[in-house]
Amino acid sequence: MSAVPRPRAEPVAGEAIVRAERLSKYFDVSPPWLNRVLERKGRQILRAVDGVSFDIARGETLSLVGESGCGKSTVARLLVGLYVPTAGRAEFFGHDLRELNTPAGRPLRQKLQMIFQDPYASLNPRWRVADIIAEPLRAHGLMQDRQAIAARVDELLTLVRLSPADKEKYPHQFSGGQRQRLSIARALATHPEFLVCDEPTSALDVSVQAQVLNLMKDLQRELGLTYLFISHNLAVVHHISDRVGVMYLGKLVELAPKRTLFAAPRHPYTRMLLDAIPDLEMTGRARTPVAGEVPNPLNPPAGCTFHPRCPHAEARCKSEVPVLRLVRHAAGETQVACHAVEEGRIDRG
Amino acid sequence: MTSHAGPLLEVRNLRIEFPTRRGTLVAVDDVSFSIAPGEVLGVVGESGAGKSLTGAAIIGLLEPPGRIAAGEVKLAGLRIDNLPYDEMRKIRGREIGAIFQDPLTSLNPLYTIGRQIVETITTHLNVSSGQARRRAIELLAATGIPAPERRIDHYPHQFSGGMRQRVVIALALAAEPKLVIADEPTTALDVSIQAQIITLLKTLCRDKRTAIMLITHDMGVIAETADRVAVMYAGRIAEIGPVADVIHRPQHPYTVGLMGSIPTFGREVERLAQIDGSMPRLTEIPPGCAFHPRCDRAFGRCSRERPDLMPAGASQAACWLHDAASRRAAA
Repeated sequence: MSAVPRPRAEPVAGEAIVRAERLSKYFDVSPPWLNRVLERKGRQILRAVDGVSFDIARGETLSLVGESGCGKSTVARLLVGLYVPTAGRAEFFGHDLRELNTPAGRPLRQKLQMIFQDPYASLNPRWRVADIIAEPLRAHGLMQDRQAIAARVDELLTLVRLSPADKEKYPHQFSGGQRQRLSIARALATHPEFLVCDEPTSALDVSVQAQVLNLMKDLQRELGLTYLFISHNLAVVHHISDRVGVMYLGKLVELAPKRTLFAAPRHPYTRMLLDAIPDLEMTGRARTPVAGEVPNPLNPPAGCTFHPRCPHAEARCKSEVPVLRLVRHAAGETQVACHAVEEGRIDRG
Repeated sequence: MTSHAGPLLEVRNLRIEFPTRRGTLVAVDDVSFSIAPGEVLGVVGESGAGKSLTGAAIIGLLEPPGRIAAGEVKLAGLRIDNLPYDEMRKIRGREIGAIFQDPLTSLNPLYTIGRQIVETITTHLNVSSGQARRRAIELLAATGIPAPERRIDHYPHQFSGGMRQRVVIALALAAEPKLVIADEPTTALDVSIQAQIITLLKTLCRDKRTAIMLITHDMGVIAETADRVAVMYAGRIAEIGPVADVIHRPQHPYTVGLMGSIPTFGREVERLAQIDGSMPRLTEIPPGCAFHPRCDRAFGRCSRERPDLMPAGASQAACWLHDAASRRAAA
């Protein structure tokens, strides 16, 4: 416990505690060696995350959105150390996350926890709630005394609006929303500062989703938590985030404060996503759906990977990869990776 | 079928039961509604509310031991819930098309999609196989599949998720049914594809005056697509009415809570409205109104008597708050 990674005594609010720098994760999805030799094929590399950079300030919620296969869950796993980055680095309190898997990284690991999508799969069905929630305490050797552990479990259950009496039960005795609270309680056991939430409400019904989102917001205020929130649901992201990053085929294409992003989306893909979502206010609206689908990530288009679906694509978009640049506009500041925006070819606000 | 004035589909007092060792579970209880030709009825509710079972009962695809215990289903004035298996097979596909959530399980992986569509057409319509193939290509083109004359000989695994769902829609519409039951047709798809599929379904059905029963848990999809909405809770319809009324002027406290719990872009709120607790399990449905333990406006009568649908604003709601007699008594 002596090496708790707190470089400064009391960090200032708003200081970046998580930082990703050109973070990349490639997966080798090649066929087996013999097949490659016989079929004369090379290796196949899937660039799940390709040079993504962002930082997250203390107490902030950064959301990553995108369609399936865009790499948002891979970023989540990289940030908790479940994957080791192929290139680039991720920092947590100034420490490289590669240290996480070393004994020295143990105190660091207590400070970051993860909440998974499926509350049915992420809780051991044979364990009682008391053991599930106490597992991180025991694993990290934070508490030995049984009574102290029991008291902490009670406290955690109360924190997530469940009853201390629930600790004798098994996961199957809870509904989906209650199970997700159990996983939140387990994640909070080690007093983490940073929670990575990978689609925490997408398996839940809307009324239950509201309960979990409200709880997450309350806990953030009470405990000063920092969230990385991964979701494909833009309405949920709009509700919970401070800043939003939009991912497409492994790259961050736009990053902006929530209000700026939703009021004045810059990147053509973000505009398309915002146009595509059905909303309650849109009764009887005729949509203008965007043609095309996400291309195969094994063989992404050259240049800007969005160009085959983009109405503003030009010759430059097909050859040159755009990089994330800060753009100032009427509604604020946005980081966006788009040649058309940079050249001022897209008007509208 | 002969022409028939009145609603295309009429469901009256439908009750679906599951006999189990520990007694009979009532999954859908006393559900009545109708759909007019060319109308889109949205059915929403949380998982386990009975919306998919209602759809399955209408097309006669309830999995045993589930069974229709009471009530009737009429299509164009004729009862279809008590038809023998072979009779029902002729109606399924011909009169009622079905689209399910997962396009991969709706298609046979061992046959080309062309063969599957041609089979559906020749089974139900009196055409030669050459004509059927031409019609299949037309259908694929209409659902927006590029190069249909080449794609028709491909297998389901050669299509992406969005394209597969288009094939399923082509299959459902192959015999020009009068009613399509779409059970979560876009849930497995990404948002940008979702929009394409919903638009497609809407245009195809508008052109042919096909009625749609659209089952989903996504209120956004309903808001954009449906003419009327039925909100289901614990096996019963809590509220049914025109889409704009149900969304903007909900009458049942459950619908009010449900609408408030959905994050939208129109309003920015610190906290979402939340309905505490969760929907009761089938074994523990409370007496009276099934929603009363979670309802903040419940009063004495709610825990004793079960409300039926009654007029409430422009909609109908199963809630004692809208009963004149109990309002007088409360006042």
